[in-house]
Amino acid sequence: MTIGLHHYLALSALLFAIGFGGVLLRKNTLVLFMSLELMLIASTLGLVAFSRFNGTPDGNVFVLFILAIAAVEVAVGLAIIVALFRRRGTVMVDELNALKH
Amino acid sequence: MNPSLLQQAAEAAANNSWVLITPEIMLGAIALLLLALELVLPKKHHELIPSISIAAQLGLFVALLVNRPIGLETEPFNGLLRLTGLGHCLRLYFLAASLLVSLLGAVALARRKLPRIEFFALVAVVTAALMLLAQANHFVLLFVALETATIGFYILVSYFRSSPLSLEAGLKYLVMGALSSAILLFGIVLLYGVAGNPQLAGHAADPLHFGALRHFLSANPDNLLASVGIVLVLSGVAFKIGAVPFQIWVPDVYQGAPTPVTAFLAVSSKAAGFAVLLVLTQEVFSPYQGLVLPLLGVMAGATILLGNIAALTQHNVKRLMGLSGVAHAGYLLLGIIAAFDDSARQLAVGAVLFYLVAYLLASMTVFAVMTHLAGEEDAEQELGHYTELAQQRPFLAWMLAIGLGSLAGIPPLAGFIGKLAIFVAAFKAGLYPLLAIAIVGVVLSIYYYFGWIRAAFFAPWRAAPQAGEAPVARMFAPAGLPLAFVLCLLAAGTLLLGLYQGALGQWLLAW
Repeated sequence: MTIGLHHYLALSALLFAIGFGGVLLRKNTLVLFMSLELMLIASTLGLVAFSRFNGTPDGNVFVLFILAIAAVEVAVGLAIIVALFRRRGTVMVDELNALKH
Repeated sequence: MNPSLLQQAAEAAANNSWVLITPEIMLGAIALLLLALELVLPKKHHELIPSISIAAQLGLFVALLVNRPIGLETEPFNGLLRLTGLGHCLRLYFLAASLLVSLLGAVALARRKLPRIEFFALVAVVTAALMLLAQANHFVLLFVALETATIGFYILVSYFRSSPLSLEAGLKYLVMGALSSAILLFGIVLLYGVAGNPQLAGHAADPLHFGALRHFLSANPDNLLASVGIVLVLSGVAFKIGAVPFQIWVPDVYQGAPTPVTAFLAVSSKAAGFAVLLVLTQEVFSPYQGLVLPLLGVMAGATILLGNIAALTQHNVKRLMGLSGVAHAGYLLLGIIAAFDDSARQLAVGAVLFYLVAYLLASMTVFAVMTHLAGEEDAEQELGHYTELAQQRPFLAWMLAIGLGSLAGIPPLAGFIGKLAIFVAAFKAGLYPLLAIAIVGVVLSIYYYFGWIRAAFFAPWRAAPQAGEAPVARMFAPAGLPLAFVLCLLAAGTLLLGLYQGALGQWLLAW
């Protein structure tokens, strides 16, 4: 069996779905964060596969931008989580519900 | 390295007309200058830095206003950017918003022990990113500019880091923002893949470029994968403007964020979302009107109704501003839908711009009063806190009334003309059911806006305090001179644009 574009795309869609489900279902902020990163990785996999099979090179360049952005997002996100943990002593989503009227 | 590749790179670099993005570069330079000043200046002069930031941005604003825009209708940086009159207008808009947010930030931060300088640097960087976002002509730039702005907003929302509420809002915004960005990105990937497919007619060598993508979409008017991509991209943008069903983050984040940042989110972030939506729906995705139009129509109707109904029951004024902002996004969506009709297009695009300007003036007035009156915990600002405002500080109360009246769309104010222009455009485009929903929404909104005005003007009856008992009402501090001056300017702008649109109105409505 040769691995073609469809296999890559199926894997990419699967990763995206796992990430999306994780964001909706998981309660721990850190796991939630990993799921968000998984969604970005799914997109980069799709980009590289399309770039390779369509012969359009700019998808590969876009991937580098996405990786840089993901790194920045993680840095800011972990900083907020650490600061919040110091104040509230928890990182579970269902306990972070102080913002209600 | 292959010599022809080098030559290509040199030719591509020659297309980079850096002078055309001077405003964005200057804003970046202002941000760096502020950080450098913090290092260089002795500590006792640090309170000068916010003023320097505001003065530098004011200078830039005047320079942009006086100089004629150059290079309009060109696509520098090999098509990454497209400079238009609309884009130039939005540059001025974002700069004006950034000036006001910097001023509000100076007022709010003066009372707290927090690092100050980074706030102003971040506001400048986010504004530069929003300017680029509004002029993007390529999905790579669109995504990078959007993320630069959004990540800046994550930090700004959680800026009051000693408050758990601000941090919680930051985390919620982070999770929701990252989720929407990931959805948007996956949509971009699908569009990229399908438009670059060499087996399809009209496939492009550079499928991320808006023009090339539009060419491909008009050659393949019902491609399934492209439709999925379009829906995902529009969902990502709908998140940013807070349209139903992607509005869940709005009340919590607006409540927890520092009030100046709430103003920044409400005004600049929303306007940038609409600029992107306008370009995407009117130009890039226009061959897929049959898909886009019903989607936006359902979204607009639900957004107007849900935003207004949810705002009816709010007691926290920041949540109220957030949910009423959702409703305003619905009216703006109505304008965007009207722009699909050829006979109404020009009026509709102008009306959306005019509405955005009226919204900027009115909501900045309200947020300035809120920032001034905010207590120790910024997230807890209730309607009840405004009791006796008119008796103690009539000036602030009247400014608040003008801002809220304009948001509600009361006749002599700018908000009324904005709503009227959008409704006329929608009528011309024949959107009668949506128009009916919008009018119901306006009626609902008058109820909660006037509830707020009533809280500020008419004190509930109380028994006279006994001797030795502390008075129940809060004491309100008078507004400082710069804040009072800006409030006067904003209110005058609201009144003027309501009574006489004149040259500015013509200029705005002409796009």
